[in-house]
Amino acid sequence: MRRIRTFRWTRSALAITSLTALGGCAELQSKEPEVSGSRVFVANESSNSVTVVDGDSFQVVGTVDSRNHATHDLAVSRDGRWLFATNLASGRLSAINTRALETVASIATGDRAHVVTLTNDNRQAWVANIGENTISIVDTTTFRILGTIAVGKGPTGLTFSRDGRFAYVSNQGDKTVEVIDTASHRVLKAIPVGTNPHFLVLGPDGRIWGTNTGGTDIYVIDPGTQDKIASINVGPAPQQIAFGFKGLQGPNAYVTVAGLNRVVVVSTDPQNLRILEQIDVGQRPNGISGNREGTRLFVVHEVSNDLKVIDTGSSSVLATVPVGRKPIRVVYHGS
Amino acid sequence: MWPVGGPLRGGLVVALAVWTWSLLPGAALPAAAQGVPVGTAQNAVGTLVVVRTDGIEHRLQGRGSLPLFEGDVLRTEAGGQALIQLRPGMPVALNEKTTLRLLSRWDKTTGTMRILRVRQGEVWVKAGDGARQLEIETPTAVAAARDAEVDLKVAEDGQSVLTVVQGAAEFGTPFGVCSVKGGTASVGARGAACTTPQPANAQTTVSWKQAVAP
Repeated sequence: MRRIRTFRWTRSALAITSLTALGGCAELQSKEPEVSGSRVFVANESSNSVTVVDGDSFQVVGTVDSRNHATHDLAVSRDGRWLFATNLASGRLSAINTRALETVASIATGDRAHVVTLTNDNRQAWVANIGENTISIVDTTTFRILGTIAVGKGPTGLTFSRDGRFAYVSNQGDKTVEVIDTASHRVLKAIPVGTNPHFLVLGPDGRIWGTNTGGTDIYVIDPGTQDKIASINVGPAPQQIAFGFKGLQGPNAYVTVAGLNRVVVVSTDPQNLRILEQIDVGQRPNGISGNREGTRLFVVHEVSNDLKVIDTGSSSVLATVPVGRKPIRVVYHGS
Repeated sequence: MWPVGGPLRGGLVVALAVWTWSLLPGAALPAAAQGVPVGTAQNAVGTLVVVRTDGIEHRLQGRGSLPLFEGDVLRTEAGGQALIQLRPGMPVALNEKTTLRLLSRWDKTTGTMRILRVRQGEVWVKAGDGARQLEIETPTAVAAARDAEVDLKVAEDGQSVLTVVQGAAEFGTPFGVCSVKGGTASVGARGAACTTPQPANAQTTVSWKQAVAP
């Protein structure tokens, strides 16, 4: 794919210079050194901000004003230099420079911009606009909207298959997950999944994992057959899923269950999904993310406005970090 | 008690600081929805319907001066056409059965880029440089115009035809980018890169705008 280039008004000269020099490089890159150290980013919906936490010391290192309203979801680039944040009330995507801890662009995507996911090559950010039932495709270099895809009612979750051939969009209103062919941008199939499907994530097994936040279950989709192949009840209002290990055991799926104030641990064998453990956390856990090694989980709580760090080996809370108001999403990036 | 001239001096300092800050590169804030007008609707053949972000509708028939704001949706009907002027000097004509939304992108380095998000229909735009550049988004493509006169027609299925009358414009889809020069046209469709620009009779393509042209 060719890249939009040469426009001096499109973004920083540094980024353009770097991209031109790299010519056709597959990923969002610049000449700057990679971000060192691990970082945890928290989207604070009622503070319109992103809290940045050191992933090793668990100390807050900064807060970024999203320059928009109702900051909701986050996606971090593979090199850790760029963070993209949706803003529900503004219908905009904020582009954040993680070195400068600063919002450097605000992009109008669509009404009620809900979730953002980067394509596997990081060239595009796909944003689900729950208020107009579309996906906006944002060029992560120029910040232009390259196109939109009409999807079902109330798109709330978004992820890509391992090979990047398919995008998966959960639609609250239709109770389905739609499969989009990324080569044609056509919807191939709508898979019935359950009540109020919400969060979607690519699992370590290459399958697509999702939560039915309006119900009590999580489910698994096989990209080989594009069918829902398993589900399990975990408790009322399951929110998000991350993956990790408990010693030799794993990978396990860690599910925030808002109605229980717990993280429910589920085995990842779709032939034998079962609850392994439940970990007490704070009030209304929502976002969850794991470190690369699968030994730490970061959980944010909408009511207590904090981030808890969980050691998966002992299933114990290592630290509690105050963040902004109504934290919804947390993402980890390790160097 | 304030020292003599204290409040006045303080006010001057604040004013000077604000003025200085406004001169800094990238100091512009993201455009606030429905705050400052971003242009005016000046002429309509038939009726131009303007829908504000709160749903309030205004109609322009014939010549006038209807302020336009960020987030407004503009709509022409069958047989209708309209001319709007975006600040700081970008004439835009809407052909019949056109629906578009006025938006912007803010970038710290370059400031605010005015954007027309065309759902369907046809627009003609004359863009300049600097703050008078413009981007036109469609369901399948985006055109960036700088020092260029362009026409963009968007079909019901999102297929978009960019014709450049004068200058050059970049035309991109999620699958590729084309540089389109004066007197040529390119097509953007779902699931495909833009087509190689082909010669086009640009003057004929934009003849429709004569009824409302500035």
